[in-house]
Amino acid sequence: MFALQSNNGIQQTTSYKVVLPFYVFAAFSFLVATILLLIHSGIIHQHYFQPYTLAITHIMALGWGTMIILGASHQLLPVLIEGKLDSNFLAYLTFAFTATGIPFLALSFYEFNTGWPMQTGAILINLGVICYLTNVISSIYESKKHDVHAWYMAAASIWLFSTTFFGLLLVFNFKHNVLPQNSISYLSIHAHLGLIGWFLMLIIGVASRLIPMFLISKYTNDRNLWWIFILINSSLISFILLRVFGASTFLYYFPLMLSFLAILLFGNHCRNAYKVRIRKAVDEQMKMSLLSVGQMLLPFVALLLVLALLPTGKFPQLPILYGFCIFFGWITAIIFGMTFKTLPFIVWNKVYRDRANRGKTPVPKELFSEIIYKGMAITYIAGFLVFALGIVLLNDILLKLGAACLLVAAILYVYNAGITLFHQPKKP
Amino acid sequence: MNVISNDSIKCSQALSDLYNVYDPEIGLNVVDLGLIYQIDFDEEAKRIDAEMTLTTQFCPMGESITGNVTKSLTNNFPEWEVHVNLTFEPPWDYSKISPEGQEFLGR
Repeated sequence: MFALQSNNGIQQTTSYKVVLPFYVFAAFSFLVATILLLIHSGIIHQHYFQPYTLAITHIMALGWGTMIILGASHQLLPVLIEGKLDSNFLAYLTFAFTATGIPFLALSFYEFNTGWPMQTGAILINLGVICYLTNVISSIYESKKHDVHAWYMAAASIWLFSTTFFGLLLVFNFKHNVLPQNSISYLSIHAHLGLIGWFLMLIIGVASRLIPMFLISKYTNDRNLWWIFILINSSLISFILLRVFGASTFLYYFPLMLSFLAILLFGNHCRNAYKVRIRKAVDEQMKMSLLSVGQMLLPFVALLLVLALLPTGKFPQLPILYGFCIFFGWITAIIFGMTFKTLPFIVWNKVYRDRANRGKTPVPKELFSEIIYKGMAITYIAGFLVFALGIVLLNDILLKLGAACLLVAAILYVYNAGITLFHQPKKP
Repeated sequence: MNVISNDSIKCSQALSDLYNVYDPEIGLNVVDLGLIYQIDFDEEAKRIDAEMTLTTQFCPMGESITGNVTKSLTNNFPEWEVHVNLTFEPPWDYSKISPEGQEFLGR
């Protein structure tokens, strides 16, 4: 149940058995989401509160983004807090509950069945998140180091639970009046708890450590990271208060600017790390990760346009463009980059850890195909740009073409992840 | 590379093999990376005590790297008892990379 300490002082890291199921689930979720996007690309013409849009959004947010982050964070938490993961058992429970709950929820949205299947899915997901939250908080509590990264992890986990618990209330609110207004009125709060509190908080917390580490850069600036932490939390809390008290549109620029400033500071953090890196060569995975930092700004452009244009009714597709830029843009790009930095390590450790000095072993980056990775990156960037253009121009051909490219990227991702997962050592 | 030792000749012999032990992510050997702090040889007890560090505590590759160091020393000195101990005092930093290592990384 607990990570072990061996006799030479080294702390054993989280078992691959805990982490890999999350990666597998996430890969197939992304594939399903891109298939649905291709089949239902016409949803762009409709309001975002639509069964297929809700299904795709939740598959992307929970099945893809959250599941891979949960898996990776079980592996990376010990690195970030310099302490062991408190409980593998809780990690297994997290997977069991979420992996059962997400299909229930996604299918319920797809068929828009707001009855027991949706409620069951929401309850299971919440149980999984409670296990995760408990594990993160107890691991941080037990560790010796409570630096800024630990605070990011703790805050992100609490915001994740806030998101899923609020989502649970919204699900029950479809059938019973548990909230004062209908569920649609609260969607923006639910969405931003997840986007800002969970995804932005956790990705910045983890990436601010991993990007300099993988670039072999000596740049650190905890003061900067604390400012980003304060800005993100202030932005989210002020947004919720404005929504709850029904403030005028103009005031929403305030939380928007706080988050925008946080992202600019984070971008500057990455730029400084890049400038003083010791390893000059930057691999494709790191290029994709750095691209995702730039992509963080696109949703803000969309959001500024939402605030400026939506009250006038000039471009109703903007919320969909905003969501697309987040889930298929920023979050997908960072996952593409970081999957092939972390997954080969996990598999390498599983396969070659006990084979030391038994002949030459491949390095982790040789456990996946670089050509397939490049193909995935090209089709992904093309798909993202074409689909985004399709949303702006409301052009069905561009939407289908963009979705097809994204599907090809998803297939290449799954195939390449499969090459890594099923890697076997060559026989001598 | 400043490895402390009570026997410089045996230490050189040990290091010659440790140049073949790599950090799989960085692709640089543990000696040029500055992970090896000290190697002491007790002639009477036929015991080697090596002290090393990792680039980060809870490094996912930590077990593999220390295992490789232990096996390298055991192979090089088959009659000796090898003890590899991890320390994070002083913690590793980039200044510990040798000039050759920095050149390899493109600095």
